[in-house]
Amino acid sequence: MRLLTFLIAASAAGQSLDAIVARETVAIEQKLIDTRRDIHMHPELSNQEVRTGKLIAERLRALGLDEVKTGVAGNGVVGTIRGGKPGPVVAWRTDIDALPIDESNFNVPYKSLNKGVKHACGHDGVITVALGLAEVLSKIRKDLPGTVKIIFQPAEEGVSDTELFGARMMIEQGALKNPAPSAIFAFHASPLLDAGKIGYTVGPFLASVDSVDITIKGAKAHAARPQLGTDALVTAAQCVNMLQTIHSRRINTIDPSVLTIGTIHGGDRSNIVADTVKMEGTLRTFNEQTREAYRTFVKQTMQGCTSLMGATFETRWTGPSYPLTTNPEMLTRATVATLERIVGKGNAQMVAPQMGAEDFSLFQKEIPGVMMWWGIRNEARGIVSGLHTADFDIDEAALPVGVKTAAAILLDYLSRK
Amino acid sequence: MKAVWCFGIFVLSGWAQTREARVAELVSAMRERLVECRRDLHMHPELSNHEVRTGKMIAERLRAAGYTDIKTNVAGNGVVAVIVGAKPGPVIAWRADMDALPIDESAMAMPYKSTVKGVKHACGHDAHVTIALGMAEALMKMRAELPGTVKFIFQPAEEGAQDAAVWGAKLMIAEGVMKNPAPEAIFAFHMSAGLEVGKLAWTENAASAASDTVNIKIIGKRSHGAYPYQGIDAVAVASQCILALQTIHSRRIDTSDPSVLSLGTIHGGDRRNIIAETVEMTGTVRTYSEKTQNDYERFMKQTLEGCTGGMGATYTLDYRRGYPSMQNDPALARRVLPAIERVVGAANVATRGPGMTGEDFSYFQNLIPGVMFGLGASNTAKGISGGGHTAEFDIDEESLVVGVRSGVGIVFEYLDKGAK
Repeated sequence: MRLLTFLIAASAAGQSLDAIVARETVAIEQKLIDTRRDIHMHPELSNQEVRTGKLIAERLRALGLDEVKTGVAGNGVVGTIRGGKPGPVVAWRTDIDALPIDESNFNVPYKSLNKGVKHACGHDGVITVALGLAEVLSKIRKDLPGTVKIIFQPAEEGVSDTELFGARMMIEQGALKNPAPSAIFAFHASPLLDAGKIGYTVGPFLASVDSVDITIKGAKAHAARPQLGTDALVTAAQCVNMLQTIHSRRINTIDPSVLTIGTIHGGDRSNIVADTVKMEGTLRTFNEQTREAYRTFVKQTMQGCTSLMGATFETRWTGPSYPLTTNPEMLTRATVATLERIVGKGNAQMVAPQMGAEDFSLFQKEIPGVMMWWGIRNEARGIVSGLHTADFDIDEAALPVGVKTAAAILLDYLSRK
Repeated sequence: MKAVWCFGIFVLSGWAQTREARVAELVSAMRERLVECRRDLHMHPELSNHEVRTGKMIAERLRAAGYTDIKTNVAGNGVVAVIVGAKPGPVIAWRADMDALPIDESAMAMPYKSTVKGVKHACGHDAHVTIALGMAEALMKMRAELPGTVKFIFQPAEEGAQDAAVWGAKLMIAEGVMKNPAPEAIFAFHMSAGLEVGKLAWTENAASAASDTVNIKIIGKRSHGAYPYQGIDAVAVASQCILALQTIHSRRIDTSDPSVLSLGTIHGGDRRNIIAETVEMTGTVRTYSEKTQNDYERFMKQTLEGCTGGMGATYTLDYRRGYPSMQNDPALARRVLPAIERVVGAANVATRGPGMTGEDFSYFQNLIPGVMFGLGASNTAKGISGGGHTAEFDIDEESLVVGVRSGVGIVFEYLDKGAK
């Protein structure tokens, strides 16, 4: 009997918090749109998010957060809200950088003012959701049973000049300490899901990523006398073809993986045999064994395809390298219950894993974490373009849905513990 | 009988000796003017299709030498002059190219340094023009004994023009230079930086490869690097095409006809994690026969069609023909070799292997038998050894004398032997 009363009371309290959150969210709807457009018009590339970081810090300070740490891992910001009630610590993560994509032909009133740079991965949207989340939680702070840490992470898209950036650097600089969250959650915008929907997986969510730079070294000669040189260009062609057979011949086809050589550059002149060809590639896998196998097979293949032409090679695994993003079963199932309550059963959708990658996985290595797809599609309004395209856009109706859902996820987590 | 035979030999060779000696005397008398002419040209070099002063100077000198049949502004700034000998005989042509190169010789120390900054006669065309003018003058003085007709062709734009579709030899032919009168053989000298002054060299048959330029673009479709099936990977397609293109040489061309297809540059893709939409490659095709040259163009199209179509990609191929291969007629060369050997000595005339540089003299050779002789220009002891097309290139001016004497010798040797 006492137990039942407790359950009813807890549920009633939850319901009422939901209602308050809903009310507070409605109150800031226009502000969310304005914020998102402001950020969209001022996109900044990875590790250059100066204005964005400043805007975030100012907004958080204006909300009177307990702590606002700036300059974390470059331009990152960490805001902490200590609730009026005791409880665990939980984190919400959002990424804040934009991409080198030109949207000058993209016809919206909030077009990027920074030519050649665009928020084409929805980070403008998830920053806005996280700021809305901070605002709503700060309003119900006295009822908050624990502490919420909101992590605004720079350089998620990766940089080439250093290995230490983004999530890895934030962790190294103590983003998960003082206080130490016991779980972390995040959204990623999804142009495959309608606004109003949230997608999830139980288990693998996004692939692991590794980046490889390959240099093929031959020897220069006059193009009319190839026998006096070693043609790095023909060697590279053989290598690219052979590298593609790793996937078809050496990896279990049940186990999804992708090896892409995205760029190739070499040679000096049309009439000189090229002595150097450089290629950049990306590797995606869902399994640590496959990931390791690829590294071995790439080396073995390069050894063969270069030596058979008398050339040499160098492979350098560099740039973005993260494990797969995977949602732990227990925490995810508990979170799905929240999703179903807030957006409705039909709008909380289980989806298949994707080959994209996210350095959110590095946070998951430290503590249990769940990443979800935040639906931003609106076919009727023509918002259907894929991530990383010049026409990518988000349906702004998704902003309040994101805020409400995020708040509920964190409140439920704190209440459960 | 025997005595008469000996006397006959003496008379014949004496006559030849006499003419050799007279030519030698004549040319040695014009030595100063040859040097002056060459230095004047060297100091006023003009780029391809800009040879205005050079063309004017050639015409003036020909007029001064007594020429009346002079056509100017042929194929731009070209000049064609005809001398009809007092005796009947065949018509032959002598070709000299007249344009300079965009090479700066301001750092050089020669007293006859170019006065046009950034332009230099770095291919010896100043000497080619001077020698042809010297020959024209000498032949005019010997017209009474000239058994035939000689057409001097001063050709512009041998080095090629960027802004014209047709230029140089090809344009001169289009404008009728090989008609009225129509020569039955053509000769030319080319200053040879690798050869000491006093020596001549020539190549049997294929003397230079045809050099064509190819620009290939492979067109696929961009997508995220993690989702290759949503795009068409131009890098993977290009790689297949490169290998397929290499089998043209090994599988589709007669191996006894040498050829090379080299792709020298490759550039494609935007980022490691984006499937490349385009890959661009540039290369060169070197062939010796016209058939093989035609085959390469045809097979490249066919190969690219297949290797791109097989992956759902498309391509563009811009196949630009350079000059055809220069083919020296060995019989023609041997017919006139004795004259050269008499000037420089048999030991100083040699055959050599083909070179890779292009020459539009080949267009003339496509119509009539022709030979281009390499004329020694270097003098290593004097420090004259700079390569063609370099700022250091120079000639030992003694080569002008050797050139005029040999050239006049070639003309008489051919005409004396009558029509072919």
